[in-house]
Amino acid sequence: MPEFDLLMPQTLPEALEMLGDRAPDLTPLAGGTNVIVYMREDRHRYKMLMDLTRLNELHGVRREDGHLVLGSATTIAELLTDPLIAEHGALLRQAAAVFASPLVRNRATVGGNLVDASPAADTAPPLLVMNAEVELASQKGVRRVPMDEFMVGVNETLRQPEELLVSIRWPLPATRSAGGFSKIGLRKGAVCSVVSAAVMVEKDEDGLCQSARIALGAVATRPIRAYAAEEILVGQPLKPQIIDLAGQLSAETVKPIDDIRGSADYRRRMVEVLVRRLLSRAAQEIVPRE
Amino acid sequence: MKYKAKPLPPVELPDLRVVGKPLRRVDALGKAVGSTVYAGDFSMPNMLHGKVFRSSQPSARIKRLDVSKARELPGVICVLTAKDLPDAKLVTDMPGQTGQKRRAGTDAPVLASEVIRYRGEPIALVAAETLDIAEQALERIEIEYDTLPGVYDPLEAMKPGAPVVYEPDNIVATWKIRKGDVQAGMAMADMIIENTFSVPFVDHAYLEPEAGMAWMDDQNVIHIRVCTQVVEHFRSIARALGVPQNKIHIQGTFLGGGFGGKEDITVEIFLALLAKYTHRPVRLAYSREESIMAHSKRHPFIITHHTGVKRNGRITAAEIEMISDAGAYPYLSPYVLLYATVTACGPYRVEHLKVDSTSVATNNPFTSAFRGFGAAQACVAYEQQMDEIAKALDMDPLDVRRANYLSTGDRNATGQQMKSAVWLEETATRALETLGEKTSECGPIKVGQGFASYMQSYGRITWFHDTSRAWVGLELDGTAVIRCGVPDLGGGQVNTLCQIASEVLGVPLENFIIYSTDSALTPLAGTTTATRQLYMSGSAVHQAASEIRRVLLEYAQLHFEQDIENLELADGKVYVKSDPENFLPLAELTKMCAAEGLPLSNLALFKAPFTDPIDPETGQGDIFPDFTFGAHAVEVAVDTETGEITLLKSVGCHDVGRAINPIAVEGQIQGGSTQGLGYALMEEVQVVEGVIQTPSLSEYLIPTSRDLPTTKAIILESGTGLGPFGAKGIGEPSLTPAAPAVANALTNALGVRIKDLPLTPEKVLAAIEEAKNA
Ligand SMILES: Cc1cc2nc3c(=O)[nH]c(=O)nc-3n(C[C@H](O)[C@H](O)[C@H](O)COP(=O)(O)OP(=O)(O)OC[C@H]3O[C@@H](n4cnc5c(N)ncnc54)[C@H](O)[C@@H]3O)c2cc1C
Repeated sequence: MPEFDLLMPQTLPEALEMLGDRAPDLTPLAGGTNVIVYMREDRHRYKMLMDLTRLNELHGVRREDGHLVLGSATTIAELLTDPLIAEHGALLRQAAAVFASPLVRNRATVGGNLVDASPAADTAPPLLVMNAEVELASQKGVRRVPMDEFMVGVNETLRQPEELLVSIRWPLPATRSAGGFSKIGLRKGAVCSVVSAAVMVEKDEDGLCQSARIALGAVATRPIRAYAAEEILVGQPLKPQIIDLAGQLSAETVKPIDDIRGSADYRRRMVEVLVRRLLSRAAQEIVPRE
Repeated sequence: MKYKAKPLPPVELPDLRVVGKPLRRVDALGKAVGSTVYAGDFSMPNMLHGKVFRSSQPSARIKRLDVSKARELPGVICVLTAKDLPDAKLVTDMPGQTGQKRRAGTDAPVLASEVIRYRGEPIALVAAETLDIAEQALERIEIEYDTLPGVYDPLEAMKPGAPVVYEPDNIVATWKIRKGDVQAGMAMADMIIENTFSVPFVDHAYLEPEAGMAWMDDQNVIHIRVCTQVVEHFRSIARALGVPQNKIHIQGTFLGGGFGGKEDITVEIFLALLAKYTHRPVRLAYSREESIMAHSKRHPFIITHHTGVKRNGRITAAEIEMISDAGAYPYLSPYVLLYATVTACGPYRVEHLKVDSTSVATNNPFTSAFRGFGAAQACVAYEQQMDEIAKALDMDPLDVRRANYLSTGDRNATGQQMKSAVWLEETATRALETLGEKTSECGPIKVGQGFASYMQSYGRITWFHDTSRAWVGLELDGTAVIRCGVPDLGGGQVNTLCQIASEVLGVPLENFIIYSTDSALTPLAGTTTATRQLYMSGSAVHQAASEIRRVLLEYAQLHFEQDIENLELADGKVYVKSDPENFLPLAELTKMCAAEGLPLSNLALFKAPFTDPIDPETGQGDIFPDFTFGAHAVEVAVDTETGEITLLKSVGCHDVGRAINPIAVEGQIQGGSTQGLGYALMEEVQVVEGVIQTPSLSEYLIPTSRDLPTTKAIILESGTGLGPFGAKGIGEPSLTPAAPAVANALTNALGVRIKDLPLTPEKVLAAIEEAKNA
């Protein structure tokens, strides 16, 4: 492994200053579960790394103005134990439960997962269907970007080199809503998604679908929403026929590739199965109001 | 319940104190607290770091190789190429013994000189002051290739006009069995069932990638610390280096797994060369990626069965063809092929049998030993074939096997008589009974159960004239020392030897120290391969300890004025059986014996049965010392919409003869079956045009704890093995039946069979679809 310099800022302003001065030669390092792997594979050579683990500003989960706000350095393991996540981020928790292995989960962060921007990033589909936004900060200021715009391609995001991802926020899920996350891999633990999907649906007082969001991983150059499928659900009762149709439309939306993990055809077919299953389960989960 | 355990024949096992007890292994604490020192853990003052420069091409001629820029780099001490070691080869065959067709020119060169036959083939070695400099030196090596047409499919490689990996053709080895009259046997059949099965390349995926260090001493002896299954490789290293055999000393370490992948020479030859040329200590350790590129793989096989059967399930004749991909160099391919050939028809009575097997060279990664050694591949085919026969005859799979199972006294495919217990039905019915009722199905989830029986040899081929040695000695305080060259792969090999000697000498297990796996200081015990160490070295230790026991008891006889039969050695004392209060601590007894000048140590040599080779035309003759028999049964749930398979239950039942340490046996059954289940479900080194597509453990998937239920281990003890206290072997056998059991369970769930491992979700879906369309 090549040698590199490591900066260890203690506060967010200090970190942003370092980044402002040295970007793009300075790369943020959170859990390192992507960065160190890339370095060992010689896929990237980093001149300088900046350790983020000491920045308190990037840690913690809190409620704020009807939103849940998650520090970008929250680890995947923390998602599994945090009570606020259990209550307001069940989907993210489901993704965390099938994310990598316990060892990796202890290090890997949500921020790292999003900035790495793998098409298969497992926290992305849940955050997409929860309508999340990411907050980016630099010396110049702070901006928010909707999840659906943040990732633009394989390992590409809207983040500028001098920016840090500070937090991720989403509106607290509505009462008559439910959703789920599911992934298919070639084994059951420590595995990259061949296909992943998340859905979130909300029913109105009459039990009709008020809103629906569907997100899919590992089937395009970035995690994507299946808007066409979402649209046909709105205003409809969530019955098998329409759910099947949403599954088919989702499968038509995707542009998967063949690789050693699976064929494009298999991925497309699995999108249909996962979306159908997740929608049926979510539809049943929403309890009618007493 | 459908299956009931067949009652066991009466067995009388002697009552033992130490053997048969689930004692804490002598190596357990070090592994638990992390104090065990592995081959990669060593460093020395003044040490250099080695690196290997490898071919990026699978089939090419080296047009130009220029290492001068690497040599010029400050901190680089030495760069070696084939020019520096004329004619150095890795000789793995014992001349004339393994059936290798042509020796000359086909053994792998230590460093490639002209022709590159596989991607990753070593071309140059570097030793430098730091690892970083060594890595930079690799980048400065200049090479140009003329690519040559390669051949990547064994079936293509057998065709006339195919590119030839080495002259004159691609046939590495052939074996045949001709028994009875197959034509007549087929004529008696009511039905002939024909199927072709295939299995992929598999990696050993041990925890510990290859590593070691070497240095030269003031006598010019080269010492090599390395993780190896075979310390006897010091001889071929000496030959390759052009030094006398007594100038190479291998100090083996505990292994973090071997499974056959450390049976061939790995880093030790490079270490020896670099130490010789630099006169400095050198360390070399592979990364996981280099390990996967550099060591052997399990042979892919294509196996076709034609089986003639009567309506009652009885096999009348079998004709079997086997083709294995030997990869770029023979290594142990001929011998792996032989194991497959000999077990081609499984543990069944087949009077009319014809087997033809061929191992073929390609420009793929080379293939060699892997736990199960050809017999595992054979089992994947014959046990699926048995289920297909059952299906064709509309019979229960157990009933078909029952009609054909070998029994004690029967002869196997090579005509060797089975002399030990053959508990096939006993093990199969227990595995099935324990599996229990089928779990109920739900929606798109289908559930299936399946099992497989097997036979697997323990001990080497008897015409290899295998031997092992062990030295046992008592100290004056009543503690004991064992010296035995056995490499411990993690399977508990050294503990087993201690437990055996402890039983014989009455020295408590914790009072043993064992020195092992050292080519100069411990008597050579042979390889830890072929499920042979308990049988061979266990017997040698038993023999040596028994000799000391005799000396102790003969002296005690005089001391106590008692018959030997009335004396016992146990718990660190010698005592009178009829009056246990009348005892002497062993410390006293050994001092007295020493004062009399009696020998308190013994070096024993144990010999396996020696035979002549089998007849090359008919494949008939005795071939192995003995066999282990058993069964594995599993239950799977299949998601028919996604193709995903979930293993719900897994049971292995084996007659191990005698379990020296039941926890260790259970560990072997669980570990071995895990490898077998992974073989069925996901493991595959994907190779395209000679290039590995699964270069690390993020692409090459092995089961995690989430993928498998705990395998229930049922240990049966017939007491009829050839090893100490009637032990057989379990190291390889534990793996062999697991994969076909999964394949059979899947077919039971779906009604269709996928004849090509691994059983990936996509193949499952394709098979379901095909069945729908048919
Ligand atoms: C064995 C293994 C299994 C894995 N399994 C999975 C899996 O199941 N699912 C999955 O989605 N991923 C998986 N991964 C990938 C990886 O663990 C995740 O992407 C993880 O979330 C990355 O987080 P990290 O904190 O380790 O990121 P790092 O490696 O530290 O950083 C990743 C990238 O994000 C940037 N970065 C990190 N934090 C910030 C920040 N606050 N602001 C700006 N930039 C930042 C870094 O500069 C780098 O470019 C696996 C990895 C391994 C090694």
